[in-house]
Amino acid sequence: MIVGLLSRAVLMSTPLLYGSIAEVYAERSGMMVTAIEGIFLIGAWAGFTGSYLTGSLLIGLIWAILGGLLLSALYGWITVFLRQHQVVTGTALNILAVGICAFFQRVIFGVPTTPLTIKPLPQLAVPLLADIPWIGTILFRQNILTYALYLLLPVSIFILYRTSLGLTIRSTGENPEAVDVAGISVVKVRFLTVLLAGIMGGIAGSFYSIGYLGMFADNIIGGRGWIAFAICFLGNWNPKGALIGTVVFGLAEALAIYMQSLGGQSFFPNELFIALPYLLTIILTISRRSYNVPAKLGEPYVKEN
Amino acid sequence: MDEKLRDSVLFSILAVIAGLLLSGAMLLFIDKNPIEVYRILFSSLFRDKYTFFDIFVKATPLIFTALAFTFTYKASLFNIGAQGQFYIGSVVAVAASLFLQQRLPGLFVLAIVFVLVLAAGGIWGSWIGFVKARYQANEFLTSMMSTYVALNFMNYLLRTILKETKGEYPQTNPLDKTVWLPKLVPGTRLHWGFVIALLTAILIWVVLYRTPFGFRIRAVGLNQRASEMSGINAKKLYVLAFFISGALAAAAGLTEVNGMQHMLIQGFNPTIGSEGLGIAILANANPIAIIFASALFGALRVGGLVASQVAGIPPSFIELMQGLVMIFVILSNFCCGELDRKREIRKLRKAAS
Amino acid sequence: MTAFIELKNITKYFSHVVANQDVSFSIERGEVLALLGENGAGKSTVMKILYGLYRADAGEIFQNGKAAAIHSPRDAMNLGITMIQQHFSLVQAHSVTENIILGNVHGAIDREAADREVAALAAEHGFDIDPRARVGDLAVGVQQKVEILKAIYQKTRLLIMDEPTAVLTPQESDQLMKFVKNFTSQGNSVVFITHKLQEVMAVADRIIVMRNGMVSGNLRKADTDARELSRLMIGRELTNAAQVKTERAGGEVRLALDRVSVSDHGAVPSLADVSFEIHAGEVFGIAGVSGNGQQELCEVICGALTPVSGSIRLDGRAIETLNIHERVKRGIGYVPSNRHRDGLVMNMTMAENMLLKTSFDPRWLKNGFIDRKRLDAVSEKAIADYRIKASGPAAILRTLSGGNQQKVIVAREVDIGEKLIIFDQPTRGLDLGAIDNVHKIIRAERAKGKAILLVSTELTEILGLSDRYTVLYKGRLQGIYDRSALTVEEIGLLMAGYQLKEGGAHG
Repeated sequence: MIVGLLSRAVLMSTPLLYGSIAEVYAERSGMMVTAIEGIFLIGAWAGFTGSYLTGSLLIGLIWAILGGLLLSALYGWITVFLRQHQVVTGTALNILAVGICAFFQRVIFGVPTTPLTIKPLPQLAVPLLADIPWIGTILFRQNILTYALYLLLPVSIFILYRTSLGLTIRSTGENPEAVDVAGISVVKVRFLTVLLAGIMGGIAGSFYSIGYLGMFADNIIGGRGWIAFAICFLGNWNPKGALIGTVVFGLAEALAIYMQSLGGQSFFPNELFIALPYLLTIILTISRRSYNVPAKLGEPYVKEN
Repeated sequence: MDEKLRDSVLFSILAVIAGLLLSGAMLLFIDKNPIEVYRILFSSLFRDKYTFFDIFVKATPLIFTALAFTFTYKASLFNIGAQGQFYIGSVVAVAASLFLQQRLPGLFVLAIVFVLVLAAGGIWGSWIGFVKARYQANEFLTSMMSTYVALNFMNYLLRTILKETKGEYPQTNPLDKTVWLPKLVPGTRLHWGFVIALLTAILIWVVLYRTPFGFRIRAVGLNQRASEMSGINAKKLYVLAFFISGALAAAAGLTEVNGMQHMLIQGFNPTIGSEGLGIAILANANPIAIIFASALFGALRVGGLVASQVAGIPPSFIELMQGLVMIFVILSNFCCGELDRKREIRKLRKAAS
Repeated sequence: MTAFIELKNITKYFSHVVANQDVSFSIERGEVLALLGENGAGKSTVMKILYGLYRADAGEIFQNGKAAAIHSPRDAMNLGITMIQQHFSLVQAHSVTENIILGNVHGAIDREAADREVAALAAEHGFDIDPRARVGDLAVGVQQKVEILKAIYQKTRLLIMDEPTAVLTPQESDQLMKFVKNFTSQGNSVVFITHKLQEVMAVADRIIVMRNGMVSGNLRKADTDARELSRLMIGRELTNAAQVKTERAGGEVRLALDRVSVSDHGAVPSLADVSFEIHAGEVFGIAGVSGNGQQELCEVICGALTPVSGSIRLDGRAIETLNIHERVKRGIGYVPSNRHRDGLVMNMTMAENMLLKTSFDPRWLKNGFIDRKRLDAVSEKAIADYRIKASGPAAILRTLSGGNQQKVIVAREVDIGEKLIIFDQPTRGLDLGAIDNVHKIIRAERAKGKAILLVSTELTEILGLSDRYTVLYKGRLQGIYDRSALTVEEIGLLMAGYQLKEGGAHG
């Protein structure tokens, strides 16, 4: 049972890690991607729709990336270039995303009589590694998107801390003027990290629809985008912290699903377990001393006035 | 100043029109004629008394949640948790009403329920302000997450102690007629909650712009450090602002439960918080403008519903309209700022040459 | 030979001011060019245009006679131009090396190699800097060296420095001048943006004077003198900050600090054992390089900071435990140095800013609401008394000029400060007319018998206005002196942390 729970936790962590790494990059450049919930949703919808219509999960994934990219580009245009408020813009886009997904779901599929489903990404056992007791089942019987993360995580750490691009991104969130004076376009850097968040967020969203559920529903994301957003804060704006955060939340979510399968009509508050990730976020937000917050997080860069 | 105000009103109207045009264009995807749909949508609003006054029925809770967002926003705080505070208000309203309705006269019950709802919403909101003041906990995150906690709390109660006596659905027993908010216009669903909402909007405006307390809220919002250096206790204001914000959102629960639904049903009004936020943006966080913006959103909802029944457009079209209107309002804010800047520069050039 | 850089008819509009109009001048190889002018004369703007940070609305730039298209700092750097901003542009949270290589490396970073390279470069120019140190931990003077190293790392041929000596002690300034001389002797050019005449006369080869966004003079140092420069700079001759002879202050003790200490994040105290008294009708000056505890001193008196030890008395009554609001009620006014951050709400009206510190006071209330008539009347009176250029009490503060914003805060604090007024850098960023005005107000309030604490980094201001003064260095007082007790050189040494002994200074 514990192995099953942990294996499930890794599964549930995967999209959160995609989302929170994207958020870490964006926030390190000073951009809170508050449209992340909407990006997740678009990703889930576009991923499902693409897969369903073409029969190819790969094409579905590409649709999800394009969907996330489109919404993040809109977000980036309004917040980076037009310098409008990040929270306000994100909220508007999240509402819009709900409308777009539900509306075009109807446009494309009409009102179906039976629920639409696809076969989700298959679980792939890695030869040899999958046979390691415990660990093999937990880490190496997952789907391709999880495996991609095993590579993506170290790469994202390396880029952020060991390359000129990472230095530029980190500097942009701390002191955009320094970046500007060094001859690098602040808006370009910020727009790029927002686009990156769109790509990663789109993949993360698609994980819920084509990654394991094999279907789409309006409430499929249910605040998971915000949890990825929160993990970025709680993980102290670095990918390693994000990893720890996602594992904790993945566990909480796996536990909630397990508890739900037990709980029924009784007085046992299985809702408590569903609320666990959210409660956890609140408790961690209160208790966590964040010392690494990018100095200019959320502030538009205005040069002339 | 006048030119600025004119720009802002003009561009808000243009933004609404642009939002409706673009979402109308989307109708072409489902082979509907946008002109026809909008004709049905807007003419249906005036087809009978019942439908027309329903606009304000829908607007009532939105005024409250928009005010809730606005009040903290003025202190530069983000209360994204109006949805959850609304649920708390609904739960307290239904529970207190059910408990008291047999025991006390109706108006008396309503008065007590009103106080309890405000207190419960206020307390549920104020902890967000408290942890912000005490532990610098990001209120954006905590308020966001508090909604999901409130939702699950409500679901738990609806599944257990508040569940209807029939035990069939996760919903409560209906309330006695004695504890309903009285009707305002006979033959419609419009109740006194709407009047309360209007008065509250005016009250909030007066508090913000005519009292020292509101002045301090705004001062903290515009420059926290200067306010603190001026002897203003920003932390105390955080808690108070969130208390008031939470109470406002909870009041929407009262008007929905006692005024409209007369019971509590699982999963009802799931977008009231985010719509309120959208309205606050549309109204540029002005309590008086919120009344009109809420009426617009209410009209879109009522008309959209009729249009979905009559013209067969999906109900999600309403969210599409609202979302696009909001985006265009944000874009129009940018345009107003640019126009203002250009005007200043033109003046300078004239003076210089 | 053509000039290294030639600016032709540069014009630039901002939304509230004309920053530059038809500005033309050249920068030659191997020269130190001083760009002299008052605050707001447009010196920084024209250099930011040359550096590609701003885009000119009209005008052209030539390098070696060829038209140069400079659209971003990157273009400027490729032409060998670097500019050090007045408040620097360093990432406080990053290391020295990371700051220096920002924008100048590609791909993967070999941290050790980069550190070595920076260390070598620092050694070559005689700078004592640890490449791995966090910039936020470095003193301001050292941060400036990091900026200079960054420029050298980019192999710059024209170094523009914006008010570089504002944050330096006189001795550190001398070191900087030596570097400048050495740098230009290799055929490089330096532009010095400044408003200090002495500095110009000390270091410049040629001087461009700017006034109101236009060039008002282009002279060789050899052909001019301070008198002519000041006339070009302000349109009239500069009179020395006159020492007004007044009676020695003889009032009772108004403010008394006894061994007051304030701790900074636990480790280093930002104020240590500070004791002094200010009498009624006395101006007490605090000299020193900024960042040596001046702000902490002001804040501990006005109530924004709590001392870890020591006592503060106003008219004999202890006030160190009272909060800001209670101290305001007792008549302590405070004009902070950073008025935008600490004193004003820029997006509120002028009248609302007048209300900011006394919103608790029942005198503003009528039936529980703000008595707007009364507030407007008080604001109108301030507008008239202080000749504030504003359309009325409803004018949004942001639309006022810097000098008029300062008048608003001065009007408010003079009204609050019935007993004591703290002026922290009250003339920073103001033009000479406004400076004169503030000085008059300080003298007038002194004459009314108020105690005045004057913090300033400008020695002429301290010496011109104070009855007695002290020098703050690293949170400690360097002795208390009568107005005419010390020479400027001696004060300079105190500011740099030296102690004065018989027969000279020792470390």
